Amino acid sequence: MSDTKNDNLDNKKPEPNYWKSFNDLYNDPNFLTSTHDEFKEETKEDFDPNKLSGLSRRKFIALLGASAALAGAGCSNYRDKGEIIPYNKKPEEIILGEPNFYASTCTSCANACGILIRTREGRPVKIDGNPDHPVNQGKICSKGHASILNLYNPERYKEPQKNRGGYFNAISWEKANNAILNELKKGEKEIALITGKIFSPTTKKLLEEFKAKYPTTKIYSFEMFDEAARNNAWRKSAGGNFFPLIKWDEAKIIVTLEGDFLGTEGHTVENQRLYAKGRDVNNINSFNRLYAIEGNMSITGMNADYRLRLNPAAQAEFVQLLISEVGGSKSINRNDFVRKYKINSKTLELLIKDLKANKGKAIVYAGNVLPEDVHIAVNHLNQVLGGNTLYRTDAAEVEQLPFSNKDELNGLISAINNNAIGAVIHIDTNPVYHFPKEYNYENILRKAPLVVTLTEVETETASLSNYILPLNHNYESWGDSQTRTGVVSLVQPVIAPLFNTRQKEAILLAWINQDAKKYSNDIYLNYLKKNWESNFFTSTGSGDFNNFWLTSLHDGIVFTNETAPSNGGNASASSGEMKFFDNKGMTLLIQEHPNLGDGSYANNGWMMELPHPVSKVTWDNYAAISLNTSKKLDVEIEDLIEVKVKNRTLELPVFIQPGIADDLVVIESGFGRTNAGTVGTGNGFDVNRLISVYDAGLSKFIYTGVQVRKTSGTYKLATTQEHHTFDEGYTKDQHKKRGIIREGTVNEYKNNPKFLKESKGIEQTSLYNLHAETRFSDVKWGMAIDLNKCLGCGECTVACNAENNVPVVGKDQVIKGREMHWLRIDRYYSGSPDEPNVSAQPMLCQHCDHAPCENVCPVAATTHSIDGLNQMVYNRCVGTRYCSNNCPFKVRRFNFYNFRSYFKDDYQMSDVFSLVFNPEVTVRSRGVMEKCTFCIQRIMKAREDAIQEGRAITGSEVKTACQEACVTGAITFGNIKDKESEVGQWKEHDLTYYVLEELNVRPNISYVAKLRNTHPEEV
Amino acid sequence: MNIDYAKELPVIEGNPNLIDIDNVIVKPIEEKANRKFFLALAVSGTALLIGVVCVAVTLFYGIGVWGNNQPVGWGFGIVNFVFWVGIGHAGTLISAILFLLRQKWRTGIARFAEAMTIFAVICAALFPVLHTGRPWLAGYLFPYPNQHGLWVNFTSPLIWDVFAVSTYFTVSLVFWYVGLIPDFAILRDRTEQKLKKTIYSILSLGWRHSHRQWQHYEKAYMLLAGFATPLVLSVHTIVSFDFAVSIIPGWHTTIFPPYFVAGAIFSGFAMVVTVLIFVRRVFHLEHIITLNHLEKMNKVIIATGLMVGYAYGMEFFTAWYSGVPAETFVFVNRAMGPYAWAYWIMISCNVLIPQLFWFKKIRRSILPMFIIVILVNVGMWFERFVIVVTSLSRDFLPSSWGYFKPTIFDLGILLGSFGLFFTLVIIFTKFLPVVSISEIKAVVEGSQPVHHQPTDGGTHAI
Repeated sequence: MSDTKNDNLDNKKPEPNYWKSFNDLYNDPNFLTSTHDEFKEETKEDFDPNKLSGLSRRKFIALLGASAALAGAGCSNYRDKGEIIPYNKKPEEIILGEPNFYASTCTSCANACGILIRTREGRPVKIDGNPDHPVNQGKICSKGHASILNLYNPERYKEPQKNRGGYFNAISWEKANNAILNELKKGEKEIALITGKIFSPTTKKLLEEFKAKYPTTKIYSFEMFDEAARNNAWRKSAGGNFFPLIKWDEAKIIVTLEGDFLGTEGHTVENQRLYAKGRDVNNINSFNRLYAIEGNMSITGMNADYRLRLNPAAQAEFVQLLISEVGGSKSINRNDFVRKYKINSKTLELLIKDLKANKGKAIVYAGNVLPEDVHIAVNHLNQVLGGNTLYRTDAAEVEQLPFSNKDELNGLISAINNNAIGAVIHIDTNPVYHFPKEYNYENILRKAPLVVTLTEVETETASLSNYILPLNHNYESWGDSQTRTGVVSLVQPVIAPLFNTRQKEAILLAWINQDAKKYSNDIYLNYLKKNWESNFFTSTGSGDFNNFWLTSLHDGIVFTNETAPSNGGNASASSGEMKFFDNKGMTLLIQEHPNLGDGSYANNGWMMELPHPVSKVTWDNYAAISLNTSKKLDVEIEDLIEVKVKNRTLELPVFIQPGIADDLVVIESGFGRTNAGTVGTGNGFDVNRLISVYDAGLSKFIYTGVQVRKTSGTYKLATTQEHHTFDEGYTKDQHKKRGIIREGTVNEYKNNPKFLKESKGIEQTSLYNLHAETRFSDVKWGMAIDLNKCLGCGECTVACNAENNVPVVGKDQVIKGREMHWLRIDRYYSGSPDEPNVSAQPMLCQHCDHAPCENVCPVAATTHSIDGLNQMVYNRCVGTRYCSNNCPFKVRRFNFYNFRSYFKDDYQMSDVFSLVFNPEVTVRSRGVMEKCTFCIQRIMKAREDAIQEGRAITGSEVKTACQEACVTGAITFGNIKDKESEVGQWKEHDLTYYVLEELNVRPNISYVAKLRNTHPEEV
Repeated sequence: MNIDYAKELPVIEGNPNLIDIDNVIVKPIEEKANRKFFLALAVSGTALLIGVVCVAVTLFYGIGVWGNNQPVGWGFGIVNFVFWVGIGHAGTLISAILFLLRQKWRTGIARFAEAMTIFAVICAALFPVLHTGRPWLAGYLFPYPNQHGLWVNFTSPLIWDVFAVSTYFTVSLVFWYVGLIPDFAILRDRTEQKLKKTIYSILSLGWRHSHRQWQHYEKAYMLLAGFATPLVLSVHTIVSFDFAVSIIPGWHTTIFPPYFVAGAIFSGFAMVVTVLIFVRRVFHLEHIITLNHLEKMNKVIIATGLMVGYAYGMEFFTAWYSGVPAETFVFVNRAMGPYAWAYWIMISCNVLIPQLFWFKKIRRSILPMFIIVILVNVGMWFERFVIVVTSLSRDFLPSSWGYFKPTIFDLGILLGSFGLFFTLVIIFTKFLPVVSISEIKAVVEGSQPVHHQPTDGGTHAI
């Protein structure tokens, strides 16, 4: 270095002078001494070579070599887990390990709820409701939760398929489109477009353009379950367009006639939420009272305060009875009616009294299955009961494309029969399964020169087509939807199409363009944007369209300033004479299955294995009959019977369902699919073959004069709850005797809010001081479940499956009692088999303070955390199952097999299926115990966030998957040490109780006792 | 009848020569195996093989091939475990407790009963490992130092089981081996084949029948007997803790320890009688294992059977007296519920049928005795089934009630455990003396010093 200053300071140091610090550079004397004594005294003095280990250098190296060899040999079994490739260009928005949420719209059913899709590293993993959506308000139904599984169905069509004499070959899009366009261009014969319900305004516009391009096109819209009867009746009696929405939350008296508004009918998510507002124990004076007059035992009936068993064919007469009683004409003799249908006269009297006393606050709701004239009569009855006060005027339904009526469909069939059809195009619909069998649709389809089916998965219809065009799943598609006035929602893709699929609108657009080569992935996006720019942007927004578009995409919804149209005037009395039921022979009622719907969810394992909310049967449907009817027919549960309507027959097993009307057979839809993939094929029995259009019964779903006879053989049904527990003497009402279900009435509570705590019979003394627990931190997790709000629907179970990677086990394993659901809904009956009271209770790991599972595990694989969680250490678990045996709630679940591999030959192991797994939760293998963790991954996430933000975790920021899913808000979760928090308040509530309190295991889940809103004089 | 109670009845009938004793006991070992041996081995080996196949399937696919479910987490695996541990108890009781009580008649059956103990414990020990979901990690059940600092959970009765059963097995094995040393020496002295001689020489640890050796031997044997005695009581007590420590109604019972021990002795004696009936006949040992022996064992069976019956009754009383609805329910459910058939098999086989042993004629005739002891074995297996399965199948929450149905693999493994047991027994009879030669010689009439003149005039040689 030529720095002169440096030379002056130190000329003793050799050149170049490398200095390490300023002390070094300026030659500090202390520094010099310290460098001299580099090996300080401690090291020098203590160092004695004799004290060193006797290990020689050779020995050391020999040992080193040996251990290296051992380590190499011993670890050679390390399995390569596949390549891990880092992003070399980090995508915008994605932070590894952090979820992203995108707003979209669920298209699983016609309710089109707004959803939020949670994605991880570009992969959708969980669906929840969009909290900003005004209708579903952050909640969705179980089908919505399960729809993610359809996206990752390994059996989705991956390429377009061409039928070559019964078997299908993959062909390119171009070839398929060219072949189809050739037929379409001919333009001589009719092109039949058959679709399900259309709720997208842009799709509707597109269909119109298609029709303009191909003028011979006719569009048929068909769903198995629709509200046609209700809406037609409304048009006839009040003159409006649609039956108005109902203010369930303001109704004091709700009377349902074979109507399952809490389970399958209407916008169930909205209905449930509004209904539950009248079930708030903290607002005891606003409690509603629910009467269910029904033949079937529905979810609504299960929750009813009063239930009358009535044959659905007798509903017409019943409505007339109510009209005459309420209106004061008494034209129908009540006693005759009671005698004829053997219904409980006391309940009927209470009902009439309530209706009379609550005019303006009572609503009668008739089910979709009931015929039009009953609906007309009910409209009139509601008019008598107080007019339009409970009909909503703030919003109304919006229909994009009306359903085809019976004549139009009959016309389609005869057109095919007369060879007047050029092409049949099925757009994501399955008429071969859904059309009445007398259409003989599957055979006449051969007469059409071209049959094209647009579908995601195998269906009965697809397998009879010339071309199968694979569709994108909703989460791979663009779109919009409007089902209500005032709000439009958007569908946006959250993952690139997994396979070589296109969305249905893009296929139609390509056909309109008539050029099979010209196709780009954003073809429909552009169309959608253009439509939005011209329609919604101009009507609602101002400024830049792009901003408007991105904001709308972000929110998922756009509010429009359109108002609900007037829904007609006063409902007049029905003019026509109603036919009354002669009450002879058996009646058949066909109902929508609460889990599978019309069968479109048959290929979804989560929905298949979700127990039926009432019967707890999985994987099958059945003929539900009452105990009396079974005695009359001399059949037992699981015996096969033949149900015969005219010349249409169906053989299926019997299920004895408490609470069903006598001489009634109830069969639910959605089963008996023959081409529904690995999961859906061959489960249950196809009730559609009993439906007729030409000779309809009272309605499409109710048939009288049905013949039922016992055939030979039995059929095993898989239930998650023993179904023999009802009639045995000593097993009866055990849930009440043991204090598992504790209930009261609204009046009891009003008179004495502490009645539950004071009730005798259950010993609650403890030898220990309840407040002496010092081992827990300031945050202690707990849950409160309000049984007043729990409807027993099972949405929480599906949400839990999705969140926690719970496997599907299959029917045979459910029969063995090995279902894996971490959260189950227990259903108990009390009272008589004819008129049972039903209680539902969500049951999951109670995270007991004195958990009996923990002290018996020999390897300490289940332990307690400082924040009160009962934890399961999968890696340590050897699977002795002792914990499960010792669990009084039996909520632990054991992997008897590797269920992913066991179920349908590795179905759940396929590469595509595995994408559904939540990366935050371990996928458990064979031989390991598992159970509810209180969504510990969410707790940990909240804790990480709190640490990062330098604050304490509060508890209210954690929401478990079940809590998030519960539409009625029955589940509250949080820090129970925080007495101010919602869950803390519930713990102190007068109605709170713990299940099996006397065992002193001290659960952290408390239940709020259900109050039945019965009449005070009744008790 | 004029029986002279001043004089003990001879334990060995026919007053055989000492060399005759040697010859008759050693005969199956020295002779070439005959067809009967192979036939027996073929039968038990087939059963064993079936069990091996079922075990292999279980290991490959998982516990799912068994009938276990939710709520019945334990099924045949634990039933068999408790059953086999119980079978083992008779051996130690006969060899240790009766030794300390100076019961000379034990000599004829002690060796065999001890061997059965060891084989039964081997059978039993397989099940806790097999029934786990991940048996390849069963090592976690042992407390061993590891870098995770993970220890077993000492509050779990299953860990107590691990210690109890391994201790029991070790002590029984040592005790059995020590008893065998003088007999090994006899075999060594008799054989002329070089290989056998080498093996027996090693096994006999240089035994030369010297006085000094006998002196040490007797001390050691007595000490070991003292050591083994508490184990008879402790092992099944601890096994019963698997149930008693839990909170499940039907399991959570303080009567379990004594009840289990009584039951174990009950079933163990029944099993010893079952096998001895064949052994004394096949190997012509009727004069060594006499009807008197069998009768005495039958008396133990009826005594322990009554204790077990008392326990059954007392369980019901306690359940009723406790006033706990779930507890009361479990016992009503046992007698009337879906598993009532198992309960009534248990009651009739364990309580009612052994009452026939009050009749001396039945106690002393082979065929009725054989039928009864077989039924006792069946009944005791069902007792464990009733305890394990019925209690679990319907516990606290009626919503989770279930029904356990065994599969073909459950039955196959049960059969296989019998196959293993009898295979080991058959091999034992071929390679080791089934009766202790040296101990028998010590109880032959006149072999012990007496301080009074024999009353029959001193005709017996001393």
